[in-house]
Amino acid sequence: MSRAGWLAVGLVVAPLGFAAWISFSPDSFLTPPTGAWSLRWYKAFLADHRWVSALFRSLGIAGGAAAVAVAAGGPLAFAVARYRFAGRRALAAAAVLPACVPPAVLGMGLLPVLYASGLWGSPVAMALTHGLLGLPVVFLVVRSHLESLSPDLEAAARGLGASGWQSARRVTLPLVRPAILAGVAAAFVGSLNEGLVSLFLATPSSETLPAVVWPQLRFAPNPLVAVASCLSAATAVLAVGSIMLITRARRGTAPGTPS
Amino acid sequence: MTRRTPYLLSAPAAVLLVGLLVTPVVLLVRVSLYEPSHGRGFFAPGTWTMENYAAVTDADGLGRLGFTVAFGAGVAALTLIVSYPIALFIRSRTAAWQAVALGAVLLPKFANALVLLFGLQQLLGPAGPVARSASVVVEPPRLTRNLAGALIGETYLVAPYAVLVLVVHLARIDPALTAAARGLGASRIRAFRRVTWPLSVPGVLLAGYLALMWGLGSFLGPMLLGGPEQTTLSVEVHRQAFEYGRWPRAAAGAVLLVATVGLTLAAYATVTRRREVV
Repeated sequence: MSRAGWLAVGLVVAPLGFAAWISFSPDSFLTPPTGAWSLRWYKAFLADHRWVSALFRSLGIAGGAAAVAVAAGGPLAFAVARYRFAGRRALAAAAVLPACVPPAVLGMGLLPVLYASGLWGSPVAMALTHGLLGLPVVFLVVRSHLESLSPDLEAAARGLGASGWQSARRVTLPLVRPAILAGVAAAFVGSLNEGLVSLFLATPSSETLPAVVWPQLRFAPNPLVAVASCLSAATAVLAVGSIMLITRARRGTAPGTPS
Repeated sequence: MTRRTPYLLSAPAAVLLVGLLVTPVVLLVRVSLYEPSHGRGFFAPGTWTMENYAAVTDADGLGRLGFTVAFGAGVAALTLIVSYPIALFIRSRTAAWQAVALGAVLLPKFANALVLLFGLQQLLGPAGPVARSASVVVEPPRLTRNLAGALIGETYLVAPYAVLVLVVHLARIDPALTAAARGLGASRIRAFRRVTWPLSVPGVLLAGYLALMWGLGSFLGPMLLGGPEQTTLSVEVHRQAFEYGRWPRAAAGAVLLVATVGLTLAAYATVTRRREVV
């Protein structure tokens, strides 16, 4: 049972590991290196302007997407968790919709809209779209965190004379910070890896890394594809790792703990 | 704070949802009713026609529709079959190992889906280790460019989320219940069948719902690991838009896909609700 279980878990990781292994291949075949390992394809990646600029563009778009997702999802989660108002349930349901619509539908729907509005091919449009895709996870995480907090804490702050804004900023925000950071991480990674809607929307001036990988992968796969994948996966792990470190460092200085 | 506060707080999300989700989907319907362009632009502005819907629901189109639904159901079933034992296994470990195993299962989600399927393609392909080690004994089965490949690929993308949902639901089951069943003389299998399984059904139904929802929109699995016969509606939408430049036909396909997803999920919800009562 135990061995079979770990084997199954290992199989889940295998394709990623295999791709990483191939990226160190010394020759052009898609076989993992058994004798000599080489950084040849990493050098080729870094020497190619198109790949490098796509990587940096992906990172910028991911940052923008995370900001959009948090700016939209955070306040909405607060409204839904703390207020009773007309349209509350409809909004809560709508906020999850971006995760439910097939990417091909969203991509095909956005194509004429962006085309007509002149935003087709702009990184801003890409960041907004990815922000939309990150909205559900930010909303769900922050909302469930808020609902697990006692509203008495905010009531106490109000009772002690804080304004609504002050209690939100000084009490609620520090308490939900871990949830917000988790949402930022998820939206960032989601955008970095989003390759489906981007496939419909990318033009040479706004192509993200997955959009550059796609034609290579379909028509002429070479170890460069593996390198691109590994670099973007490494970036994602780094981003999430640093966010986790920030969360941990902040925990020591959370309100209420003596400093 | 005033009565307007919740509306002000919801405004950014509402703008985003209306601007980038509702408007595009509504306009999609309009685009699907344009006549195709003849040589210039992507559609003929100002025209109205039903011919795109006729095209996506001809014999070929209905075949693709049927395949899409069957494929989505297949992905959902395969996802549950793979994820449930993994989730049970993860829950049976100590807390630290649970974190390690769950982290490993979710690790692929840090990587690009294209990369994962690339790795899978190489692993399962005719020159990959699976085929080579099998060929010692038997003629290796083809696992890429066919239905098996498409199903494996798409399931691989969906399964980590299903495992996560199932682990969370299994964690809600009070371990004292299984311990009590065992204490009262039930075998491990009987304790599972009579206690753990019935209590985990809501989690299974939720995981199945999500897997079905994403399976119906399958694109990458069929595209990268399937063959020409594995054309789902999503693949067809992309092909019409980018290989032929027929936006109206692609839009009609997308509208058909939205309707299919909505109806299939509604049917799933109805059937599973009835089951829960029994």
